[in-house]
Amino acid sequence: MTLERAHPNYVTVWVWLVVLMIAAVLVSYLPLAKSAVVFLIFVIAAVKALLVALNYMHLKFEGPVLWAIAVVPVLLVVGLTLLLFPDFVFHHH
Amino acid sequence: MEASVATRTAPQILPGKVGVWWFLASEIMVFGGLISSYIVARLASSGWSAEAAHLSVPIASLNTLVLLTSSMTMVLAFGAVGRGDRRGVRTFLLCTILLGLTFLGIKAYEYSSELRAGFMPVTSPFWNFYYTMTGLHALHVLAGVITNLSLFVAARRGLRNAHRVELAGLYWHFVDVVWIFLFPLLYLT
Amino acid sequence: MAESAVAAGAGEVVHVHPEELGFWRTYVFSTDHKMIGKQYLFLGLFMAVVGGLLAYAIRWQLAFPDTEVPGWGFVGPEDYNALVTMHGTTMVFFVAMPILLGAFGNFLIPLMIGARDMAFPRLNRLSFWTLLGGSLVLLSSFFVPGGAASAGWTGYAPLSARPIYTGVNWGLNLWLLAHAIEFASFLMGGVNFLTTVMIMRAPGMTFFRLPILIWQLLTAAVVFLLSVGPLIAGAIMLLMDRIAGTSFFVPEGGGDPLLWQHLFWFFGHPEVYVVLLPAVGLAAEALPVFCRKPLFGYRWIIYSTLTTAILSFIVWAHHMFVSGMDPRLAMPFSFTTILISVPFAIMVFAMIATLWGGSIRFTTPMLFAVGFLSMFIVGGLTGIFNGSAPANIHVHATYFVVGHFHYTLLSGVLFGGLAGIYFWFPKMFGRMLNETLGKIHFWLTLITFNATFFPMHLLGLGGMMRRIANPMQYEFLQPLQPLNVFITVSAIGLLLAQLPFLINLVWSLAAGRPAEANPWEAATLEWSAPSPPPHGNWGEAIPVVYRGPYEYSPPEVAQDWLPQDRALAARPG
Ligand SMILES: [Cu+2]
Repeated sequence: MTLERAHPNYVTVWVWLVVLMIAAVLVSYLPLAKSAVVFLIFVIAAVKALLVALNYMHLKFEGPVLWAIAVVPVLLVVGLTLLLFPDFVFHHH
Repeated sequence: MEASVATRTAPQILPGKVGVWWFLASEIMVFGGLISSYIVARLASSGWSAEAAHLSVPIASLNTLVLLTSSMTMVLAFGAVGRGDRRGVRTFLLCTILLGLTFLGIKAYEYSSELRAGFMPVTSPFWNFYYTMTGLHALHVLAGVITNLSLFVAARRGLRNAHRVELAGLYWHFVDVVWIFLFPLLYLT
Repeated sequence: MAESAVAAGAGEVVHVHPEELGFWRTYVFSTDHKMIGKQYLFLGLFMAVVGGLLAYAIRWQLAFPDTEVPGWGFVGPEDYNALVTMHGTTMVFFVAMPILLGAFGNFLIPLMIGARDMAFPRLNRLSFWTLLGGSLVLLSSFFVPGGAASAGWTGYAPLSARPIYTGVNWGLNLWLLAHAIEFASFLMGGVNFLTTVMIMRAPGMTFFRLPILIWQLLTAAVVFLLSVGPLIAGAIMLLMDRIAGTSFFVPEGGGDPLLWQHLFWFFGHPEVYVVLLPAVGLAAEALPVFCRKPLFGYRWIIYSTLTTAILSFIVWAHHMFVSGMDPRLAMPFSFTTILISVPFAIMVFAMIATLWGGSIRFTTPMLFAVGFLSMFIVGGLTGIFNGSAPANIHVHATYFVVGHFHYTLLSGVLFGGLAGIYFWFPKMFGRMLNETLGKIHFWLTLITFNATFFPMHLLGLGGMMRRIANPMQYEFLQPLQPLNVFITVSAIGLLLAQLPFLINLVWSLAAGRPAEANPWEAATLEWSAPSPPPHGNWGEAIPVVYRGPYEYSPPEVAQDWLPQDRALAARPG
């Protein structure tokens, strides 16, 4: 199990994660349109999640099979959410 | 694909890693189902932002920082496994465990102040979701702490099972990623 | 540790030391995939008896409403709801899945791919014991105050969301708990199946040399892993509604009952394929062996299986056409539902084409495989009525639907599962089942099955609702009552028709004719191991695979089948 492979600098990744977290908190106080704020915040969250998945979970170094196992459920969740829209969001009780 | 007969189809990747990733795929669907329900329920009615404003962003930001840091110490423990550094493995595992417990402690404090302010799980749909989502996440943190604790104890006797640090790490980072989304979903919007 | 040495790797020469394990380690807390498979089989059969007895009480109440059920007691309308709920839950989650996935998956995956055990033998043991715990929780719910869950096997909210609505408190909570445990068990099982097939195949066992059953089990495992999450989320929300008083699914607190239906069916429809695909696989393994012909369209069946898996995630709302769902969703979901019948039809046609021109051997497993195919076609055809919104609105929640899903799901478990049991019994237990008793069992089952479930379509078209305890309360249903009596008599016949099987099982286990390694002259890898296979499955060396799984009547050799592990000196192509 001594895989001496080049690994990312874990501390640098952490610095980025913290910077992005602070950025997200600051964005939430910006005097922008609500939709713009929400958009920015979730872009930042996605980047953070990607940083963790790629560097800490080592997806960067994995083959297509593990990628598929990780990505397919995410796509399914997005699909489920979108298909629930007509019944809840576009539908006024 | 049917080419040579003698090709060995022996493991190139650890079985444990494949297993854990499949498990995480099903976990993504569990949290995904919850988050997806939350998103559509929230978009279907108004007034949730005003309720979310009762949550404390500073406390949650501190907790996010704690969890992000614990992810780093976890991956540093894995790095120490790669170097055969038993002391490092134990130190970083201990850091991860303590940070995990800190997260749970802060979360408990947060819950108690919200409950004292009168926001119960039954108060409104927003609070239904808030307590259920963060509660399920906290249970996952607890499970991760217990797993890490068992690895920490095992590492005292040597690094024979150290490859499990990588597997436990995958789970721990996943729990971190879930929080990365819960934080903006519940606190920032 | 013995098991880790055994599981060490496919393809390597592993020295198996037949270390003597005591009784408990061999039969009870075993990590051997074969013993675990048998444990799943017996647990599933036991739960089938429970589910069958529930069906008996249900049918008696419907034929002779509010009379004493012989040997059971009085049922009445309230207990009736509990009976149908528990019948559905038991049969789908504690019979179909343990037998089709648990028993056959665990027993056959390592044997068919050339591995000595599953990738995680101890996780495998844990998943069985977890399921056993879940079964006990489910059974115990009959005995708590208020009785067992009674909100239907779908647990629709808001009925299920507040204890006062059904009058059942702990029964329904335990019902949810039993589900949670069952899901945990099959999540562990699914992870094990997938990992094992991905990395433990024997040398030469490429993906396109895997038996169809392995593909079907793999697909079922993926579909289960990826579909059950939202229902777990929903179950947590439902439990919160019941215990903490939240209102996720309760309208007066701001919740939406429709959300539960979406989350339930997002899993519920794929679950149909989780059960059906392995059943198709079991029949597909038996057909080429008893036709002495290669399976027709091997790759087309694989592609169809994968297409079915993908489509199964976008058809769920066909269960909700009359739920008050946005009508704009009806059209796309009707479309995908009709679309999903295409890959399934391809599988069925491939299996029929396998029969074409074969030299058929009418053994008991072959009869059950063909029985599955024919019954399943009926279920598939009635599915078209349910799947398209306009026809669905007419038959929704009537006995037509009950008839339909028994022709699909029960045909899978009963005919598909029994084809599997009759086929692999010699490999599992080293003895042959009695053929005469087997044939009696088949014909009685076939006749009573159709007599039970076919008339249900007529009842449904006549307007009989699916969830009523007493059809005689409705004047327009009274003329149909003779049909209800006929169905009940047939259903009792169907239950009694399983007696020859139970006798056969017990008798053959004790005194059946000893089976040789390959009694059916089949080509797949499990038949190269002794019957029953020893711990570790093969001796010193794992077999090497040279060809696909269905080489029957090949021109190259005198014998009419070529085992997967047989090398030929020079082979064209
Ligand atoms: Cu369906």
